[in-house]
Amino acid sequence: MHQEQITQLIKEEYAFFLQQRSGWSLTAGPQDLELVAHALRVLLHARTTPDFLADYLALVDCQHADGGWSPFSADHESTVWVSAFCGLMLIRGNRLLGHERLARAVHRAIDYFLATQRPDGRWVDPRWADLDTTSHPVSFFNVVIALGESYRRSDVQRAWEQGVRFILDHQSPDGGWYDNDFHPSGVEITAHLIQDALIADLVMENRVRGVREACAKGAAKLYALQAADGSWDGENVDHTMDCTRSLMIVTRVLGDEHGREVITRGLQWLIDVKNPHGWGDFPGMETNLERTCDGLDTLLKYQAYCSADPLAVVRLWGYVP
Amino acid sequence: MCPEHASAHWVLACRLEDLPPGGRILVTIDTTEVALFNLNGVVYAINNRCPHRGGPLIRGFLDAAGGIKCPLHGWRFDLRDGSSQRPARATTYPVKIQGEYLYVLLTTPALACRRE
Repeated sequence: MHQEQITQLIKEEYAFFLQQRSGWSLTAGPQDLELVAHALRVLLHARTTPDFLADYLALVDCQHADGGWSPFSADHESTVWVSAFCGLMLIRGNRLLGHERLARAVHRAIDYFLATQRPDGRWVDPRWADLDTTSHPVSFFNVVIALGESYRRSDVQRAWEQGVRFILDHQSPDGGWYDNDFHPSGVEITAHLIQDALIADLVMENRVRGVREACAKGAAKLYALQAADGSWDGENVDHTMDCTRSLMIVTRVLGDEHGREVITRGLQWLIDVKNPHGWGDFPGMETNLERTCDGLDTLLKYQAYCSADPLAVVRLWGYVP
Repeated sequence: MCPEHASAHWVLACRLEDLPPGGRILVTIDTTEVALFNLNGVVYAINNRCPHRGGPLIRGFLDAAGGIKCPLHGWRFDLRDGSSQRPARATTYPVKIQGEYLYVLLTTPALACRRE
């Protein structure tokens, strides 16, 4: 796979993404905030965030008094998963924007996650498996800690560690994480947990025993579950993007070179099944914006993964400044 | 849309032989995608798009209790009535078999409005 091909694809898909702006921008009206967060991540990784301050301020405008967000911007009940994604985009975006309103919104988001954690360390959201849900506030706190945010620091550290331990305690002996109500195959959860929740600890200070082994076993599980054509979970584009990206950061941090071949096969499959513009949820399905954002994010992360700078791809998760 | 004028029509979905026990098939009627499942000889019809994020239920995971789980994020829906423990309900359609053919009952408000 040539870098020129990746660069050209990024250019074309980013232009398509911008053409669809009214479908993801809060400046155009109420939006699905999961999609908004996916779009803001593309802007971050395409390094165009400073051109979109109005989108970030609009996201602050729909934050609730409790510090959370709802799945749809016009709704009023906060839920954990989407709140963590929004909070994550705000704290990462504000490194580039340096806006006081965004900084205050991040503090309110910290309050929200500290108030909603359960005593056993998990967070709960009816839309997602508890493990998946928990990985998102942990991911947000990873970045809060990595960027040196001092607001309620000791509370954040404690909540973060409880979340990490909840995740570690629920790893299956085969290396995967499962949820019988949501994800019997465990592919998506495993990919999410190792990249979003666990691997950051190795980048920072490796304070929790067992994280390295858990990540290595999780990555090995994903290797084993990859189909011969490079996809995961029955040609599931979403989950193949999850696994491909997850292995980029996890194998980079672990120094596991075996991952390169697996990642390349996954990415090649994703390129082979893409539509003329964007991606659908499965091969042959119509393009949707969320999957297109994930596809662009995967290409941008692969570009960083191939960089000579070993930390380049880690930066795209926000775990190093 | 004018729901007071909505009308329901039995619409031909497929030949019965195309959906043997244990089988599943996706049909598109006008713009509506309907996923059909034959569970032990009983046919169920459900809107193919998961109300969560639009995942294709035709690719979902069936369970012995008559549920279908979306392949994207695992939301489960009862094929009999679309009910779910998640904050959404899927649309299901009555099914009838006539001779060698299988029909689903679809509501067509747009058509009703045009007739008005």
